[in-house]
Amino acid sequence: MTEMLREPRVRTALAPDPVAESGTKLPAVAMQGVTKRFGGGRGGDPVVAVDDLHLDIRDGEFFSLLGPSGCGKTTSLRMIAGFEYPSAGSVRIFDQEVGLEPPNRRPVNTVFQSYALFPHMTVVQNIAFGLEMQKVPDDEIATRVGEVLELVQLSGQARRKPSQLSGGQQQRVALARALVNHPKVLLLDEPLGALDLKLRQAMQLELKRIQEQVGITFVYVTHDQEEALTMSDRIGVMNLGQLLQVGPPEAIYDTPRTRFVADFIGDTNLLSAEVVDADTARLTDGTVVRVATGRPVGATVTLAIRPEKLGLWHADAERDLRLDAVTGRIRRMTFLGNAIVYEIVTETSGTPVELTVRQGNTPGIEHFEPDERVRVRWWPTSTAALED
Amino acid sequence: MSVVDAASGPPPDVAEDSVVRPKRTVERILAGNAWIVFAFLYLPILLLVVLSFNDNRTVGVWTEPSLRWYQAMFTDRNVLGALRNSLVVAFISTVVSTVLGTAAALSLERFRYRGQRAYDGLLYLPVIIPDVTMAVMMLLFFVQAFDLLGAVLGVNASFGIGTISLSHIAFNISFVAVVVRARLAGLDPSLEEAAADLYASRWQAFRRVTLPLIAPGVAGGALLALTLSLDEVVITSFVAGPGSTTLPVYVFGLVRRGVTPLINAVSVLMLTGSMLLVLTSLLITRRRDEP
Ligand SMILES: Nc1ncnc2c1ncn2[C@@H]1O[C@H](COP(=O)(O)OP(=O)(O)O)[C@@H](O)[C@H]1O
Ligand SMILES: [Mg+2]
Repeated sequence: MTEMLREPRVRTALAPDPVAESGTKLPAVAMQGVTKRFGGGRGGDPVVAVDDLHLDIRDGEFFSLLGPSGCGKTTSLRMIAGFEYPSAGSVRIFDQEVGLEPPNRRPVNTVFQSYALFPHMTVVQNIAFGLEMQKVPDDEIATRVGEVLELVQLSGQARRKPSQLSGGQQQRVALARALVNHPKVLLLDEPLGALDLKLRQAMQLELKRIQEQVGITFVYVTHDQEEALTMSDRIGVMNLGQLLQVGPPEAIYDTPRTRFVADFIGDTNLLSAEVVDADTARLTDGTVVRVATGRPVGATVTLAIRPEKLGLWHADAERDLRLDAVTGRIRRMTFLGNAIVYEIVTETSGTPVELTVRQGNTPGIEHFEPDERVRVRWWPTSTAALED
Repeated sequence: MSVVDAASGPPPDVAEDSVVRPKRTVERILAGNAWIVFAFLYLPILLLVVLSFNDNRTVGVWTEPSLRWYQAMFTDRNVLGALRNSLVVAFISTVVSTVLGTAAALSLERFRYRGQRAYDGLLYLPVIIPDVTMAVMMLLFFVQAFDLLGAVLGVNASFGIGTISLSHIAFNISFVAVVVRARLAGLDPSLEEAAADLYASRWQAFRRVTLPLIAPGVAGGALLALTLSLDEVVITSFVAGPGSTTLPVYVFGLVRRGVTPLINAVSVLMLTGSMLLVLTSLLITRRRDEP
């Protein structure tokens, strides 16, 4: 049983992550104080699509902008591409200010959500378009188009028109058409959105493989948290035009800084607590748990704990002083196949705390029944104190 | 065609079961109505074509078939002159209005600017203005313009092919813009963004991506302009100068002096021209629908 509760790797929001140490390399994309307002003429109030965005995207990384629909991801990406100009702030690509340059003068290429393949051109003509516009010699165009066709495994479809290709193949053409130009940064706006689940999962791995192979910085926009977690070196979470948190997938998942990030990515238990001292806080049912909140004594904080980081035991299980624990009763049990989810209500004095516990359905795991009294235990490092 | 079979009882060939067979009275009436409409539309045409091959000087009296009036038509200097004028005006006004109309459609569809709504509405005005009003407007305009030209530059301008062409351009721009705009509206704007993203300048993006994709719309607009110009009478007759009449206006003038079989032949010529244009535009439309 204790196997289930291995001590997690410690990583706080402030801890430097390994990629950051990689030196003083210039960021591929640097956005400073970037704001974008739409409208606001006689029509009424302007929409602030992107609000004072500060972001450095590192050279060679797979960076995802993650957030719900309408949060400003696409607008941010379009300002890097040059399809929109910032209302304020600066956009730099490898230290070169491009904020007001048109798209054709920026060393970046885009994979559009709708693919935007030219319907009157064949696959090869589509892919060669960018090179022709840059006046690359014909023989070099032929070589590079051949290479990139191989990279995306489309050599057999070279003479077809886009309408004769499947969705997945069109997606690859769009990717090839951008990559063939060897852009300094590749921008992708929900490129897998139109594909069905199986194909999408296959393409996620494929995209990651290609990114590692070509070593180009990818900026990837998605509203799918699983996609972002699977593919990214780092993720930036956005909501309502603001960038809330930036970090590697583990940091975003394990130590969310705000209620929104905790809630948007994965399932989580949000618990209200009162700060007792620098290292502990008291839940509403009176239980004291170990967590460094960095807040004054007596302040109210929200704690976040992932359901799968909670362990479930019989109520009379021996104490383990390294772990935090509450005692409660199972209100509901849901069998999911690969996991079992329990809803638990604590039984101590004060306002009961409701917890969701997720146990992997592994051999030897103990099953509990509704109404059974149980003890929930977790490593203190699993608890994240939120800022809001 | 299926309607024909149905009206005269079930056809012997039952293999084609996709054929709709009206059963109820209402449907029979509708089927009959189709016949009446067809007769109404095509009997006069048939009559015109047949009579254009009539040898007799009197239009209504059939004697024997001949090509006499066609021969007369192609040797009549007035007819040939009017035909030539018609073709010149149609060519000039089609080319100019296609370019300007396409540009207007692009600017309305792709850019946002102050006063766009007003421009939008004003551009389509010639489509709905009565021809006679338009004709009076053009006439007034040219008279004023000529006065001004004479006073300021000392140029002596007059009515003729030039004024006819300008008037035709004026109303054709609107029609071209309407047709091209419909095509543009169906175009994914991210295609042009993709071209810009792939290092194309504005002009290259237009040449290589936008224009090929709206070409069917542009061709359709051009054909419409050509057709409208070729059979325009009212406006042309107002702004035509002496000796610069177009074919339809010439025919109109002839009729007032009495119908001759020559008119029948000229009419058949114009009919054939129009039908060829319609056929071409149908072919273009069909190609547009292919993937
Ligand atoms: N061209 C535009 N004109 C006006 N509002 C826009 C425009 N583009 C985006 N917006 C608004 O900006 C906000 C962010 O949009 P977007 O960047 O597309 O979000 P996301 O890609 O995250 O779904 C939305 O409220 C959207 O309605
Ligand atoms: Mg979007």
